Amino acid sequence: MTTPLERDQESRLLKAWTPPKGWRYWSEVNNTEVGVWYTATAFLFFLFGGALALLMRIQLARPGGDFLTADAYNQVFTVHGSVMMFLFAIPIFEAVAVIFLPQMLGARDLPFPRLSAFGYWCYLLGGLFLCGSIFFDAAPKGGWFMNPPLTSAYQTGIGADIWLLGFSFIEIAAIAAAVELIVGALKCRAPGMRINLIPLYAWYVLVAAVMVLFAFPPLIAGSMLLELERAFGWPFFDPSRGGDPLLWQHLFWLFGHPEVYIIFLPSVALLAMIVPTFARRPIVGYSWIVLSAVGTGFLSFGLWVHHMFTTGLPGVSLALFSAASEAVAIPTGVQLFCLIATAAAGRVAGSVPMLFTAGGLSVFVVGGLTGVMLALAPFDFQAHDTFFVVGHLHYVLIGGALFPILAGLYYYYPLVAGKKLSERLGTLAFWLMFIGFNVAFLPMHLLGLRGMPRRVFTYPAGAGFDALSLSSTIGAFILAAGVAVIVWDVLRSKRGQPYCERNPWAAGTLEWLQEMPSKPWGVRSIPEIDGRYPLWDQPDFERDVDRGRFYLPDADEEKRESLVTSVIDARPVQCLELPGPSFVTPLAALTIGGFFIFGTFGQWVLALLSGAAGIGVVCWWLWTGTSVILSQPDKDVGLGLTLPLYVSGPSSVGWWAMLITMLADATAFLSLVFGYFFYWTVRDDFPPRGAAGPGALWPCLAASLLAGAWGLTMLARRFNRLGRATGFHAAIGGAGALALGGAAALLAGPWSTGLEPTSHVYPATVWMLAAWAAAHGLAGALALAYCAARRLAGRLTARCDGDLENTALFWHFVAATAVITVAVIAGFPLAA
Amino acid sequence: MKNAAPEADESLWLLAAAPAIWAAHFLLCYVAAAVWCAKFAGPAGPLAPARRAILALTVLALAGIAVIGRGGWRRCRLPPPPLSREFDTDEDRHRFLGFATFLLSVLSAVATVYAAGAAAFMRDCR
Amino acid sequence: MGLSSRTSPRVPAPIACAAWLSGCAGPQSALDPAGRGAERLAELFWWMAGGAAVVWLAVAALAVYAVRGGARRAGGGAQRALIVWGGAVVPTLVLGALLAYGLSILPGLLASAPPGALRISVTGEQWWWRVRYESPGEAVELANEIRLPAGEPVEFTLRSADVLHSFWIPSLGGKMDMFPGRETRLLLEPTRPGRLRGVCAEYCGESHALMAFDVVVLEKPEFARWLAAQRRPAAVPAGGAAARGGELFGANGCAACHTVRGTGADGVVGPDLTHAGGRLSIAAGTLPPGRAGFGRWLAKTHEVKPGALMPHFGMLPPEDLTALAAYLEALR
Repeated sequence: MTTPLERDQESRLLKAWTPPKGWRYWSEVNNTEVGVWYTATAFLFFLFGGALALLMRIQLARPGGDFLTADAYNQVFTVHGSVMMFLFAIPIFEAVAVIFLPQMLGARDLPFPRLSAFGYWCYLLGGLFLCGSIFFDAAPKGGWFMNPPLTSAYQTGIGADIWLLGFSFIEIAAIAAAVELIVGALKCRAPGMRINLIPLYAWYVLVAAVMVLFAFPPLIAGSMLLELERAFGWPFFDPSRGGDPLLWQHLFWLFGHPEVYIIFLPSVALLAMIVPTFARRPIVGYSWIVLSAVGTGFLSFGLWVHHMFTTGLPGVSLALFSAASEAVAIPTGVQLFCLIATAAAGRVAGSVPMLFTAGGLSVFVVGGLTGVMLALAPFDFQAHDTFFVVGHLHYVLIGGALFPILAGLYYYYPLVAGKKLSERLGTLAFWLMFIGFNVAFLPMHLLGLRGMPRRVFTYPAGAGFDALSLSSTIGAFILAAGVAVIVWDVLRSKRGQPYCERNPWAAGTLEWLQEMPSKPWGVRSIPEIDGRYPLWDQPDFERDVDRGRFYLPDADEEKRESLVTSVIDARPVQCLELPGPSFVTPLAALTIGGFFIFGTFGQWVLALLSGAAGIGVVCWWLWTGTSVILSQPDKDVGLGLTLPLYVSGPSSVGWWAMLITMLADATAFLSLVFGYFFYWTVRDDFPPRGAAGPGALWPCLAASLLAGAWGLTMLARRFNRLGRATGFHAAIGGAGALALGGAAALLAGPWSTGLEPTSHVYPATVWMLAAWAAAHGLAGALALAYCAARRLAGRLTARCDGDLENTALFWHFVAATAVITVAVIAGFPLAA
Repeated sequence: MKNAAPEADESLWLLAAAPAIWAAHFLLCYVAAAVWCAKFAGPAGPLAPARRAILALTVLALAGIAVIGRGGWRRCRLPPPPLSREFDTDEDRHRFLGFATFLLSVLSAVATVYAAGAAAFMRDCR
Repeated sequence: MGLSSRTSPRVPAPIACAAWLSGCAGPQSALDPAGRGAERLAELFWWMAGGAAVVWLAVAALAVYAVRGGARRAGGGAQRALIVWGGAVVPTLVLGALLAYGLSILPGLLASAPPGALRISVTGEQWWWRVRYESPGEAVELANEIRLPAGEPVEFTLRSADVLHSFWIPSLGGKMDMFPGRETRLLLEPTRPGRLRGVCAEYCGESHALMAFDVVVLEKPEFARWLAAQRRPAAVPAGGAAARGGELFGANGCAACHTVRGTGADGVVGPDLTHAGGRLSIAAGTLPPGRAGFGRWLAKTHEVKPGALMPHFGMLPPEDLTALAAYLEALR
């Protein structure tokens, strides 16, 4: 029986959390809505990429096929690879995590709902732009790896620009989502959910999202260099002017290999949720799985050169990377055996999710084993860039990611739709896909060893490829038929089907608290957790949650709220008011997207205008929606606990988001520094003999000015805490002025010595580093101005100083960036 | 219990310390060999100095990993309650972090030994 | 030298048998080795493939046993043992052993050729191969065909004139990428005479699929005769259609891009055609040799090879095309 109080609470919660109606629905930012859009969009891109794959298979069914022209085929294989990687595999991980992570952690939403929505809109816009290009015969055709100089000097159309700018845009959105997920996993857990109690899915998402932070920036940096070469002739990859195409491969694969694990880990994470449910036992080897996830995350950054084994690097480099590539198989094996041990501990109930799990793992193990072979440099000399690798990577990605994701689809579908998918259709789909997959991809291993290179639009008759290639084509269509069955199963009308019972699989984790059909608030009250499987372990748990006997059972101001907790032991530290629906997120995506889209067409003036508008929109977003000072300082959240509504510094989610974002930013910067030293290592003419550097005077002045700006920023924070307005404004004004001066001085260095960036890679690199640091100085000045304005407007006070804390954190990174830049561009030539 | 620690004394960074040492070792070995071969030895030159550097780095790295792993081992020495689902105490969290740190140290040590072993096969810069 | 001092491969009989059964033979097959490197790598592959099959079956058997409940009866200790031994210890040892085996053959594959060895430089261009025999003796240039003496180590010096390419003769050994502005090396040692095929393995643009070359391994004396013949200038046809073709060759500007030694043609943009008629294929392994092939190439250049830099000559009258084809065919 619900009491009148409970009914009132529910109606207030409903008012706070119900999505807007009509066209305003698209201003929603709540994770369940955004996550579902995100997931659906990712599946649509998957179907698009799959359709492209079928085109390729038709072309390769027979020797000398003429279904597609060479040029069309090259566009198709490039877009297929790019779409599957950038528009399906990575986004689907983030999309699924956006839906389920808060629910698994017992939170009402992620800490920055608008950031998720912004990420989604960027993804949608960028994805449509990219996929659309193929209908205008303007798609990229440099391969998903985009090796220069083919893509820098030998492909004139806008295809390569679409790839470079479009994907940079999407990568920035992916980093935004990663920031969101990391802060969510660390700071938004249900009280009591200690670090050793969090669902394994959250561990995996945490690791994968951290990997995104360090893997994507090198690619963004590389894309920036390549686009600078294409658009403005800065010769980073042009050997005739001192550049080197190999730098691209380093930066690309520094992203590209971790990326495989970014795709794989969150997919195994789904299995780590599914297997215990169907085994009716807690996972066996929880710590071992955490070890594997973290260990894989690290080791995967030591593998990139195994994509470059045939580039003529010294044998010792090959040996080192072979070693790391073999080592990474160990944690992967541990995860597999933990799942087997869990199955052994329980009594496994057959079901479609378990079918996809078993099928996926059996396929993935094959991919893992061929991966172990390819990791050995000598064998890779033969297999590299052949169909063997095509077979291998599809075994890894389809077995290790797609099948687990489909297992997750069948497992989690009731949480989204309130109804189960069909057991019969699911079984049919599985067998079609499993058989089709093996018929399609197993022969590719032999094709490769018989000498068939990858990325060929045709092959000669009688070279021994005909029968195997035809088998691949037939298999591909069987696989596609299986996918079609799933699409039908999802889309078919389920109006007559009753809602399934709550927690239909009798799982033990928090996401299954959800009612059928679901309520927009997520959890009725945020529970206190004391085990890994609260639904199994804690008596009367569901009833207590439903009756609002835990935290935040009410929304007395009809606002969206959730709890922020501490990192290790999840002790409550703040009641966080979450922002509601707003069109500022699609607007920000559109304006910032405009920068990249206009840039693609070489309209740099419009691009800059659009980018500036984007910065304006973001400032407005921040001004109106973040660090809001509320009328009361704290609030009773239930169970006799009173929590502050405003916190700043390391307790706050904003500070963590800034820290995490800046780690990504620093990684991009270090990639550029790596470029500088890479050129120095491989080229004898870097810097060219007698070349003027940026001098010593201006760079040193710049470093001093920016260091001074940093010092004054710290002083401003101190004055603010002490409530000394004059001191604050003087310090922050001074800091801003020094920041602007420092940025100008950075650019004055190479300008005063007349370095011409198009003449040689050395001046181009110096300009690049100086411009990067100068841009950070400018951004720092903007942040300082924002803080000063906030204080004048009364939106920043001595106690409520989140903006200033975050700005101070930002300035630590700016100062470090400036000092390192100056040490490199001005100091290193003196030392070398 | 004497092994329990308040939250403030725990850190996730310690979990990452051993793999971070592996990463530093790996990167330094790679850079040392690459710079030595490209700038000093030439395309077919001897690798001996770089190999000595790799050996020294390996000894250092293994020592560092051993220290961290030993710390982790000490923290997880308490035998885990047999198949219990109760993990809700400071000791449990402490033991978990210790055990995970220990396991990661073992993995990092294996990966470091693999890397050093790999360098042992190469004698010159080809 | 590492490679040449070894005796014939010790591929165990059952493995060799498996190789034969799976239909691995072919002019372009890495599993049908005709060179030292390829032999070692095929051996490595068969060991690994056999090992992988054993591992896959073992994991599958364990999984079935686990799901059937065998390990449940054995209790928690068995589960922990499964993770510790199956997940960690055994893989660590197996991978360590494999790494040691794999890397032990690496130095041999990367070794330099002995002094006095045959040296060939190959330049990848969109989408053909410029081949230059640097030593022994006076250098000579040809295109899209490489002949090698059996039993002799050969060092290739690899470059690219434009984008990235990768030089790969699967039956002889591994591949090596080709870069603009950077030289790479590759050592190969054919072990038996035969006709093989090489391809570009790195995606290099529109007609990447049509960038192949013929490889012929000859006995040593035969090779010496062939190389001597390649050094000789072209055998210029004296009369008939072929001779008229020679005139057309000059009149249509072919000589601006192509060299035919012994005539005035000395262009260096495209392939050297001095002995084009004697080659085993036309347009980098794309068309069969002979007059018909040349004719098709001249008239339908971009149908045969999309994006090729050579202009097509489809506008010439058919009899001119026939004459040109006859001329090229006569350049043996």
